[in-house]
Amino acid sequence: MTDTDSTTTGPLAPEDITAESPFTLPGFFDALAAGRLMAARCTECETHLLPPRPACYNCGSRAVTLSEQPRTGEVVSYTSVKRPPSAFEHLAPITVAVVELDSSARLTGRVTASLESVAIGDRVELRVCDPETVDIDPEFNLSYEEEWPVHVFDRL
Amino acid sequence: MATAHLIAVGSSPLGKTDLPGRDLFSRAIAEAFEGLPDPADVVDGLYVGAQSERYENQIMQGTLMAEWAGLRNVPAERVEACAAAGALALKNAVRDVRAGVHDAVLACGVEKMTAGGTEGATNALGAAFERALEQRSGITAPATYALLARRYLHETDATERDLARIAVKNHRNAASNPRAMFQQAVDVETVMDAPDVAPPLKLYDCAPVTDGAAAVVVANDEVAADLQRRHDAVHVAGVGSAANNLAVAERDLTFVEGANVAASTAYEDADVDAADIDVAEVHDAFTVCEALLAEAAEFAPKGRGIETVEDPGDRSAGWTDVQINTSGGLKARGHPIGATGLLQAIEAYEQLTDRAGERQVADANTALLINEGGVADAHTVAHVLTHND
Repeated sequence: MTDTDSTTTGPLAPEDITAESPFTLPGFFDALAAGRLMAARCTECETHLLPPRPACYNCGSRAVTLSEQPRTGEVVSYTSVKRPPSAFEHLAPITVAVVELDSSARLTGRVTASLESVAIGDRVELRVCDPETVDIDPEFNLSYEEEWPVHVFDRL
Repeated sequence: MATAHLIAVGSSPLGKTDLPGRDLFSRAIAEAFEGLPDPADVVDGLYVGAQSERYENQIMQGTLMAEWAGLRNVPAERVEACAAAGALALKNAVRDVRAGVHDAVLACGVEKMTAGGTEGATNALGAAFERALEQRSGITAPATYALLARRYLHETDATERDLARIAVKNHRNAASNPRAMFQQAVDVETVMDAPDVAPPLKLYDCAPVTDGAAAVVVANDEVAADLQRRHDAVHVAGVGSAANNLAVAERDLTFVEGANVAASTAYEDADVDAADIDVAEVHDAFTVCEALLAEAAEFAPKGRGIETVEDPGDRSAGWTDVQINTSGGLKARGHPIGATGLLQAIEAYEQLTDRAGERQVADANTALLINEGGVADAHTVAHVLTHND
């Protein structure tokens, strides 16, 4: 696994791209299950890439490093899903938001609050859930997704 | 480089129909080739845009549609870019004709969206969104666009009522479009009082689930001259396309940069400016898209795209005189995903050849098409069409 504090200056080597590395989805979700939210950070233009990936979409550089993310941030936009895909029906209506973490990395997630109680700029904190507690229809999961945790945001 | 012309167009009825996909395709082909020789005597290949194989459990639509058109042993490919698949088929056909690879190519699109009911459509469309973090958070198409709309309303002076007026305009336009799914006007109060889908988006902010097919024949100078009176053909003058991020979280929520790149590239290819565009069909899958795309196409100053509903003389300084979505747009003409980009081309063809009846824009000579797939401009294909004088 690439070290969080490494100063990567070039492309990942083929042997760096394994299911143990957060530069792949299995490695990213293993780290998340262990309580660490990882992003890649471009060492050329500082863009965060969440989940981590080998190249920066903003500037094209492959000089990317890993950076553990803060769990707190604020709501950039939000809505409510009244009729979600069938695997998520039991959670409806689902409040979802785009959240900008305090590092400036962004990700989408469910918010554990009603639509009416959420506003742009609200402070939220990421929480990692065991997939079984979320009770998504097992039919929805691909074989490699079954153990992956699910994240939510709680209002602060 | 050879010149690419649109020489014939056709579409199926749009809405919930009793025809499966291939039969919808047959309707579109029957119209496009009315009065022309057999497709096998005209075209050398086919591209078909189709969003998902889940609706009818069928891939290999290239092969299947070629058979149904009477084509054999020619290149026939399905292309996929979610809702931009139709324009992608057109782009590939234009590329082949321009390069001299083929003299004429059929660009078509088909989607039988109602085959699996609302649940089937929701699940099929859901595959267009980023899987690991966004699909697994339970998002849907309306929800991703609602995230754009919420932020747009937050950053600009626009209101939910302004979005409603876009739906009203497009229904008014569709009322005089014989191809449209909804040929009736609605008023602002009806739109505002409709049930929420994903706030701030309500029912009439969203394009419908639609069955349909569309086809256009793209041909070089020789074929066009053979088969069509010159003034009846339309020239594909410019093409542009670009991909943006798939995850909604990672993109600018109020500026569709990929669409801006695609439109700018098409303008440059056609050697025109935004101000030269008389009519535009832009991808209003949700009302907010029309405002965002008016800005991305450089018709409107940033934050003022919402004035798309105003008559040209009543718009803010910096707006062009373009008329947008004269067909009724995706909202009211209908949105059979893989066919939508070709339906946009058909409206431009009718406007530029003076066939648009009551909705005809006077002196329409140059058109822009913007077709998008994924969340807004996750994939955009833009075309500039001009009339052959």
